[in-house]
Amino acid sequence: MAKIKLENVSFLYGEGTSYCKEALKNVNVEINESSITGLIGHTGSGKSTMLQLLNGLATPAEGKVYLDGVDIWAKPKEIGKIRYRVGLVMQYPEYQLFEETVEKDIAFGPKNMGLSESEIAERIREAIDFVGLSPDVLTKNPFDLSGGQKRRVAIAGVIAMRPEVLVLDEPAAGLDPQGRDVILSGIFKYREKTGATVIIVSHSMEDMARLCDDIIVLSHGEVVLNGTRDEVFAQSQMLEKIGLAVPQITLLMHELNARGIDVDNGIYTEEAAAAEIARIFGGAR
Amino acid sequence: MKSITLGQYYSVDSPIHRLDPRVKIVLAILYIVIVFLSANILSMALLLGSAFLLIALAHIPVKLVMKSVKPIVFIIAFTAIINIFWTSGEGDPLIDIGFAQIYKEGIVNAIFLVIRIFVLIIGSSILLTYTTTPISLTDGIERLLSPLKKIGLPVHDFAMIMTIALRFIPTLMEEADKIMSAQKARGADFTNGSLIQRAKALIPILIPLFSSSIRHALDLATAMECRCYRGGEGRTRMKILKCGTADIVAVVLVVAFGAAVVCLNVFFA
Amino acid sequence: MNSDSYIKIENLSISYEEDDGGRTSVLKNISLNIKKGEYLAVLGHNGSGKSTLAKLLNMILEPDSGKIYIDGKEITDPSMTEEDVFELRKKVGMVFQNPDNQLVATIVEDDVAFGPENLGIEPHEIRKRVDDALSAVGMSEYAKGEPARLSGGQKQRIAIAGILAMKPDCMIFDESTAMLDPLGRRDIMDTIEMLNREHGITIIMITHYMDEAARANRIVVLDDGEILMDGAPTQIFEQHEKLKECGLDVPQCVGLVNLLKERGIIIKGECHTPSACADAIVAALNKG
Repeated sequence: MAKIKLENVSFLYGEGTSYCKEALKNVNVEINESSITGLIGHTGSGKSTMLQLLNGLATPAEGKVYLDGVDIWAKPKEIGKIRYRVGLVMQYPEYQLFEETVEKDIAFGPKNMGLSESEIAERIREAIDFVGLSPDVLTKNPFDLSGGQKRRVAIAGVIAMRPEVLVLDEPAAGLDPQGRDVILSGIFKYREKTGATVIIVSHSMEDMARLCDDIIVLSHGEVVLNGTRDEVFAQSQMLEKIGLAVPQITLLMHELNARGIDVDNGIYTEEAAAAEIARIFGGAR
Repeated sequence: MKSITLGQYYSVDSPIHRLDPRVKIVLAILYIVIVFLSANILSMALLLGSAFLLIALAHIPVKLVMKSVKPIVFIIAFTAIINIFWTSGEGDPLIDIGFAQIYKEGIVNAIFLVIRIFVLIIGSSILLTYTTTPISLTDGIERLLSPLKKIGLPVHDFAMIMTIALRFIPTLMEEADKIMSAQKARGADFTNGSLIQRAKALIPILIPLFSSSIRHALDLATAMECRCYRGGEGRTRMKILKCGTADIVAVVLVVAFGAAVVCLNVFFA
Repeated sequence: MNSDSYIKIENLSISYEEDDGGRTSVLKNISLNIKKGEYLAVLGHNGSGKSTLAKLLNMILEPDSGKIYIDGKEITDPSMTEEDVFELRKKVGMVFQNPDNQLVATIVEDDVAFGPENLGIEPHEIRKRVDDALSAVGMSEYAKGEPARLSGGQKQRIAIAGILAMKPDCMIFDESTAMLDPLGRRDIMDTIEMLNREHGITIIMITHYMDEAARANRIVVLDDGEILMDGAPTQIFEQHEKLKECGLDVPQCVGLVNLLKERGIIIKGECHTPSACADAIVAALNKG
């Protein structure tokens, strides 16, 4: 059974005003348990809205959102519990930090859940381990940390709730390759160890290619592609048509095709491309 | 949140929209004075007529204007009732309910008051907020007050602060919205609990919002310095406000209107 | 001094004070020449000192030691007056990371006019500059609009127009694409290239994106406050092991060429963009 299912979901932005806009149109999506699913689309495609629908921050105008087969809005009063199960890390989460120490800030979520002191301490330790922070930052003031470290503290603040579904909106935006790698591998580790389902938004197709099992592509509020990583990247023309940044390697394959060299268009990693080109060279010689 | 409009500016092209903001500010003040000058039924009728003429000239839907008057209907009604009971007239009371008497003068006073407040709000909002962007309003204020620079008042700085504040309101609103969502995602509850609990729940919003405001301010200050900003001195402006024929016509009309109101007051007292 | 160097940096060092009273070096004894009309990318991971360098060039920060000359004038000279700083900032414009924190006015054209207004230029000349700058960045149709309603990339183009209207010789981009989506990034990169090519503006672009740096004529790699590499993109990307060591990636195409080398297939020439790389592969195939 799908961990998360969106059924005929529509969402209106600015309902009841003159600038009312349909942010999502009749979306039907299933997300597999313990998968890492990438969500791509450019600004205004409805990605952020979709993320907020998953944990009940936004309410669908029409349609249903199911978690483990249960409508999350079945008991509207208990939507808070859904938010603990579906942990959402928003864009630039470092700007949400507010406590005097890193430890207290990470504890905010678990405390709201009503966990015991010892349980909270345990979860904080676990969370900072996932994001690759050392325990000595716990007593520091988050405002004294570097941008990348703050980001990791904020992500740890959500991981500490041990969500079954971890949803992240551009967790690596603006970070350098090192910072990005630490965060992405932390997310991967979280999935490996806990079996959680991960949904991640990113503009970097290279990151998506590296990390995701499945990919959903949104454009103008509609799902235009939905499938495994290989299936979606095979549709690179479609991706380009809707203005998404196709991996450089895929572009190279297109360029080679255009020059009359018959290579596989769907390749998106350096390794696969090297093998493919070596094959061409082998044939030519 | 993004589409929030400030000061209810209504973006259309109309003769009133095109007036110089300085002229509009002066005319608004003049109009307010005229409203208080009018004192009999005829001048009141003229006032009401002028208010609707303004709405028509500004191409603003009457419905929209009425909607904006709605929130203060209660205040108007309240002052009207107080006036009805508090004014004692010369003749016999119209109604006498023991502890309170209602006189004819009271009712007339109340009606006048309602018309005055109503016209006051419509007139000033048509002349100012509906038809003038906040930025040209501050610009107009800066230039009107510029003689005060001579006595050392920081008129330019004041106007710049206003401009930047207006510029950042949408940005900060959007940010507040995001921070709120982020904390809700971590289980923050802003709707339940006692007053104190709810006030406490605001801390996770206010601290990040405050620190982000400071960050905005510092960054903006650097960016402004890099764009050679060093206060009002030596600064020129791209847009020079010019009083055109339309502005002169507007002033003449409002002055004539004022004269008419005074005449009506005097001759039909 | 080299006659055609526009910016000359000599033995520049800067450090900041830690909470415990110690000092941390940000830039260590850096020397660099930047020619007029050059398109230079400064690469480095976060904390490598690249943004500090930008701030030094615009006198937002002062160095501990060393000298900076811009257009032949020593800007680190302690006798620099406020007027001199003003003159310098007129020549060297700066575009920052967050577009929201650079825009002053609530109307696009008023914002673009802000810089020229500060310079005390005649109103009709400002009008002309504003119109020209907006058309150069392709934002003329938004002149009367509100910045708050624009996308990140569009806002950043307004910020660029605001600097362009001051007619600078040189523009520094301090991670100006870091907060943008791919479409916005592409827009800004195209705009930067246009400024360099069509307006002859010297560009210093600070970034950690390899594909962006690949578009420059020259790349300087900063690591831990020192210049680690300095050369044309092709020369820099050849040393991809060294780049990896300081936490940077090479563009995927360059990575591919390196992988092919391991397999004994040598691709020669510029390979940092897909089309250049395809050409090089075709050339290698034909030779083979």
